[in-house]
Amino acid sequence: MKTYIAQRLGIGLLTLLGMSIVIFGMLRLAPGDIVDILFSTGGYVNPSERAAIEKELGLDRPVWVQYVEWIRQIVTGDLGKSYRYDLPAWEIIRPLIPVTLELAVLSLIVAVALGVPLGVISAVRQDTGLDYALRVFSLAGLSMPSFWLGMVIILSLVAWLGWIPPVTYVSPRENFWLHAVQFTLPALAVGYRSSALIMRITRSSLLEVMREDYIRTARAKGQSGRVVIWRHALQNAILPVVTVIGIEFAFLIGGLVVTETVFNLPGVARFLVEAILWRDYPIVQNLVMFIAIVVILSNLFVDMLYGFLDPRVRYGH
Amino acid sequence: MTRSTRIVALAMSLGLAAAFAGAAPASAQAPKYGGHLNLMQREDLSQGFAVHETSTIATSFPSMPCFNNLVVFDQSKRAETVDNLVGELAEKWSWQDNYRNLVFFLRKDVKWHDGQPFTSKDVKFTFDMVREAPEAAAKLRINPRKDWYTNVEKIEAPDPYTVVFHLKRPQPGLLVMLASGYSPVYAAHVNPASYRTGCIGTGPFKLKEWRKGEFVDYVKNTDYFMKGRPYLDTLRYVVIKERGTRTAALQAGQLDVSFPGETTKTAAEQLKKAVPGLVITPVAQAVSDNIILNTKKPPFDNPKVRLAVSYAIDRRALISAVHQGGAVPGASQQPKPYGVWGLLEKDLLALPGYGKPADMKAHAKKLLAEAGITPQNPLRVEMSTRAIAMYVDLASFVINELKQVGIEATLKQVETAQWHPMATRGEYQIGANLTGLGVDEPDANYYENYACGSPRNYSQYCSEEVMKMIEQQSQELNPQKRLALVSALQKKVEADAARPLLDWRLDYFTVWPHVKGLVPHDNIYNFGRMADVWRDKQ
Repeated sequence: MKTYIAQRLGIGLLTLLGMSIVIFGMLRLAPGDIVDILFSTGGYVNPSERAAIEKELGLDRPVWVQYVEWIRQIVTGDLGKSYRYDLPAWEIIRPLIPVTLELAVLSLIVAVALGVPLGVISAVRQDTGLDYALRVFSLAGLSMPSFWLGMVIILSLVAWLGWIPPVTYVSPRENFWLHAVQFTLPALAVGYRSSALIMRITRSSLLEVMREDYIRTARAKGQSGRVVIWRHALQNAILPVVTVIGIEFAFLIGGLVVTETVFNLPGVARFLVEAILWRDYPIVQNLVMFIAIVVILSNLFVDMLYGFLDPRVRYGH
Repeated sequence: MTRSTRIVALAMSLGLAAAFAGAAPASAQAPKYGGHLNLMQREDLSQGFAVHETSTIATSFPSMPCFNNLVVFDQSKRAETVDNLVGELAEKWSWQDNYRNLVFFLRKDVKWHDGQPFTSKDVKFTFDMVREAPEAAAKLRINPRKDWYTNVEKIEAPDPYTVVFHLKRPQPGLLVMLASGYSPVYAAHVNPASYRTGCIGTGPFKLKEWRKGEFVDYVKNTDYFMKGRPYLDTLRYVVIKERGTRTAALQAGQLDVSFPGETTKTAAEQLKKAVPGLVITPVAQAVSDNIILNTKKPPFDNPKVRLAVSYAIDRRALISAVHQGGAVPGASQQPKPYGVWGLLEKDLLALPGYGKPADMKAHAKKLLAEAGITPQNPLRVEMSTRAIAMYVDLASFVINELKQVGIEATLKQVETAQWHPMATRGEYQIGANLTGLGVDEPDANYYENYACGSPRNYSQYCSEEVMKMIEQQSQELNPQKRLALVSALQKKVEADAARPLLDWRLDYFTVWPHVKGLVPHDNIYNFGRMADVWRDKQ
C-alpha cells in the first residue's frame, strides 16, 4: 500500500511538473500582459514607461529564466509577488482557499445527500411515475447551469422577500448563522447540478447490479428488499458513483467561478478569473497549481477508497 | 439651443429628476452624526489608491474620501463650473501677472493621516511629479495626465503655506483641472508607489482596510481640518463584479449608494418600481460614445470617407436603441445643461449626423461615391471594440448604420488587455470607443484627445489649424470669447471627423432615502468626498 501511494505521489509530482510547463506556456501565449492592463487603466501606452515596468516586474527576462525562477520559488515555499497588488502571492491566495473548499464540500454534501438516495429510489421504482418524475428532476439539474440557477435564486429572493444573502463574506466566527445562510444557497445551486449527475450514475449502476445472479439469489433466500438493495446491490454499484463524486469534487474546486461571482463569495475560482484577466502570472500560476494538487489528491483518495469499498480491489500486490 | 428650447430642456431635466426622486423631501434637516454607509464598487481598485497613475472611476471614486485637492468643485452642488470651485487644502487663491502665476495660500491646520503636517512641500512634490519636472523628487510609474500640466513652467513653495504655479502662458483652465477628482495632493514623505497598496491622505476618512477583491473600509478622520466633519463614522465600498448581484444588493438595502455611471435608465426604472422610496437623480457622466478612425491608414486617411461615417450614424436613433433614452446628443464637449462648453442645439443640427437621418445617409453615400466607393465597389472594414457589453452594443449599432450607406463592417472584439495598446499603436481601421473626461475643461479634453502626438489621440488626427485653435482658446481670458473659440473648435473637429462624437451618457445615480448630503455631479469623476454626507437612520 505504501509503495502504491509513493508511486502515485511520484506520478502526481511529474503531473504537476507537466502542468507547470503547460500553465506557464499558455499564459505567455495569451496576448497582452499585466503592463498592457496597467496602461489600459491609464488609457494610453508609453513605450519607455512600459519598458521600465517590465524591468521592475522581471518580465524583460527570457521566458525560461522566468520559469526556472518560479519553480525555484515554489520549491523554497515562496510563491512570489502579485503583479497587480504588489503583495506576496500567498498573502492573497491564503484567505481564498477556505472559502472555495467550504463551498465545494458543502455542494458535494448536497449533491450526495440528494443524488444517491434519489438514484436508488429511481432504480428501485424503475419505469414508474416516480422514476419518470425523478428523471425529469435530474435532467433539469443537468440542463440548468448553476450560475443561472444562482442568479434566479438571487433575483427571486430580492423580488419576493426584498432580501438576499450577505454580499460581503461573513466568517463563521463573526456570525455563524449568517455564514451558514451565505453558503447554503450557493451550495444548493451547485449541489443540485452535481446531484443530478450522481443520481443518474447511481440509478444506471444499480439497475445493472440488480440484474446480477447474486441479487436474485439473495432475494430467493428470502432477504428483505431493503437489505438486498442497501447491503448487496448498492455496495457493488457504488464504485462508479464514488468515481463521479471524486471527479465532481475536483471539478468544483476550479469550476465555481460563476457561482462565486453571482453570490459574491471571495473564493479561488472567482479570483483566478480576475487574475487571468489582469495577467497576474504569479497568482494564476499558483492558483492553477493549487487546483491541480487538489485534483491529484482527490483522485488518489478515490482510488484508495475503492480498496475499502470493494475487497476485490487491493493495491500493492 | 434657443431660449425656449433651453427652458424646455431644463424643465424636462428637472421634471425627470422629480419623477425619479418621488416624494424625497429637500434635505433641510440638521445633519446627524454617526453611522455607516455601504457603497457600491463595480470592480476592485485597479491601482489601489494611486489616483495619479490611473484614469478609471474604479480607483478615483473609492479614493475620494482619503484625499483632498487644492481646490474642488463644491460637493453640495451638481454643476461643475468655475463659480462652484471652493478651496480645500487651499484657503484662497489668486491669479497674478495676467494669469501667468497661480498662487495658493494653504490651510495651516491640516495633518496627514499619519500625523505629519501638510505643507507647500507636498503640493510641489505632487505636481512636479505629475508634470515630470526635471527637479521632481519622484516619478510615477504610469502618468496619464502629464499633458494637463505642460504649460506649468515651475512650481515654487516660497514658504510652508504658499505655493506658486508659474505658467508659460496664461491658462485659466488650470484651476478647473486642479479641482478634478484626478488631482489630489500626495504626501511628500510617502513613497508614491505605496499608494498602490494603501492611502495616506488628508481627507475626511482614513483607510482602515482594503481586502483585495472584497471591500475597502474607511473610518472617520477625527483630525479632519473641517471642524465638525465628517458626519459618518465609517464607510465600506463593497466590490461586486456581477451587475445583477450589484443591483439586487442595492434593492435589498445591503448597499446604500450606487456606483457612479452604473445605473442605466432601464435599471433605474426597474429599481424605482421595486422600491419606490429610492432616490434616483439623473445626471451626466462626462463619458461619451465616439468613433475612432485611423487617419494614418486607408481608407480613413481620406477625410471624405471619415466624414461619410460620421454622416451615416443617426445619433438620436443610437440614443433611443442602445441607451433607451439614457444619453444626450453632443459634440466633443459635454452638452448643456450638463456641461459648460457644449454646442447649442442649432449648431449641433448643422453637424454631420445630427440632421434628418435620410438626408444624412444620402450625403454619406454621396461622399463615399466621391471617394470611389459604390455599391459595385463597396468598402469592407473591420470595426474593433472592447469585448465589453457596453462597447459591443455600440459597435453593433454603428455597423448596422454603416451598412445602410454601403460600408460593410465586421465586428472584432478586442480583449481589454489589448485594446489601448492596439488603439495607441494605430493597429485598427475603425473602432467604437468610450471616453471619459476627468473634468469639463476644454484643455483637458483637447490636449488629451485631439492634440498632435498625444498617446490618447487614438485617431492620430493631427491638424496644425486645430492645434492653433486649442492653444488660442486655452489662453483666452474672456469667458465669452473663450466659449466662442471652444464652439468653433468643436465644429472644426466634427467637420474633420477627427473622432466623431455620438452621444454623452447619463447616469441615474441611486441612493436610499436615509443617505443625505450626497449630491451627484454632472461628471462621475469629481464627487464622493463624503465629508458632508450623513445618515438619517441609525
